[in-house]
Amino acid sequence: MSVVIDSAITAGLAALVAGVVWLLGWRLRRAHLWLSALGVAAGFVMAYWRVLGRPDFPPSDATQWVFWFALLGLPLGWLASVPVAYRWVWAWGALLGVLWLFVLPFYPLLGGFWDYRVGVAYIVGFALATWLLMLLTASAGEERGVVVPLALSLLGGISAGVLFYGAKSASLAQLAGTLGAAVGVGVPLALLLRGFTLGRSALALAMLLYATLWTLALGFAYLTMGQLILLYLLGFTLALPRLPALQRLSPVWQVALPIGALVAVGGAAVWLSYAAYMAQGASYYGY
Amino acid sequence: MRQSFKTRWLAPLAVIATLSGSIQSVQAQAVTYRVDPVHTFVIFRVKHLNTGFAYGRFNTISGTIVVDEKNPANSSVEIEIDANSVDTGNSQRDDHLRSPDFFNARQFPKITFKSKRVRKINATTVEVQGDLTIRGVTRPLTARVTFTGKGRNQRGQEIIGFETTFTIRRSEFNINYGIDRGLADEVRVTFSVEGIRQ
Repeated sequence: MSVVIDSAITAGLAALVAGVVWLLGWRLRRAHLWLSALGVAAGFVMAYWRVLGRPDFPPSDATQWVFWFALLGLPLGWLASVPVAYRWVWAWGALLGVLWLFVLPFYPLLGGFWDYRVGVAYIVGFALATWLLMLLTASAGEERGVVVPLALSLLGGISAGVLFYGAKSASLAQLAGTLGAAVGVGVPLALLLRGFTLGRSALALAMLLYATLWTLALGFAYLTMGQLILLYLLGFTLALPRLPALQRLSPVWQVALPIGALVAVGGAAVWLSYAAYMAQGASYYGY
Repeated sequence: MRQSFKTRWLAPLAVIATLSGSIQSVQAQAVTYRVDPVHTFVIFRVKHLNTGFAYGRFNTISGTIVVDEKNPANSSVEIEIDANSVDTGNSQRDDHLRSPDFFNARQFPKITFKSKRVRKINATTVEVQGDLTIRGVTRPLTARVTFTGKGRNQRGQEIIGFETTFTIRRSEFNINYGIDRGLADEVRVTFSVEGIRQ
């Protein structure tokens, strides 16, 4: 089976699984909180299984942690949906949870590939950046319409391109791409179902998984710090639709501005990664 | 009966002298060689898209070989390969091989082999059983090793050479990338080593 067909089947299955769970969540309104994050987790777990097979627990290979993060991150996603009065619990819980989670995959690099002090700085930095990303973008999950699921899905495609050419890891790229496909099923659902929202917990978990893939690509593959920062900045664009200034604009601009920014900056990021990769010589992937 | 001075004092000394001589001769039979990284090669080949073979090598190899010609069972070998030194003649492919898709060389920088048992097959061949560790996964490996020669290098040091070829399944070491897309599971490895006597 060709790579393209295989990847398409994986992406389709991930989207189908996420879509079914989200549809169920939309029908059972009370379960929406739980099922919105579960849709992301189920879609990603399906994608991982197809791309890399069953991971060990505890993982022998640090990059396998991203599979378990889809499950371990579920409570963090659910916490994002607590009532406004208890959002401080979400903020502190997410901080502690993300700090703990990020130690797990990067611990093997301490004292080896990374000096202890540098490694701890990396882990804390990754955790803080991811916590901020989850905190600032979670509210986008309450946004109706296609803009948020479309942006979230585009982030997966852009991440796949940057990880493929920048990090030189096809499997991490494929995981990012299939995560994008899984959450991308939110686009037809938003078009078909009136009032459909992804939910805060889905956004929080999806961001955790994206950030984990990006940071794994820096720690274990060849992603540069510049590319990592750019990917985080692109992630923060998901918070744009909730900005009061943007909400005062016409509906067309409310869609065009965040999506346009994401496509322009993301496209440039992929192009720069591709150019840097090709500067090494003719692509061996092409053969 | 009273023992003479000669029997009482010299006989134990003679026994000690004889024993130490035996130990020395046993030690003399087991010779330790350090792997000469310049004249040691680890070459591998894997079938690409069920068509041609892609070849590669590792450029940084170290280790020791203990050779007991009289009693090969006393022989042993320990080899360490730097996974980051993989070289296929294409830097993009080498980076990909170092990535988590294959060796995950940042987490698992060393590939090692430690022998457990050496058995003589014939005058120039031994069977070496041991543990091969790749990507943190250890699996037993049995290889037939051929003695390729003995001599002296330009510095006058005694050198010895061996070679072996064996096939492993990379999936047994959790290196699964591309197996279902035509990048073969079987990897044939040729290891040619030259050791310098210590």
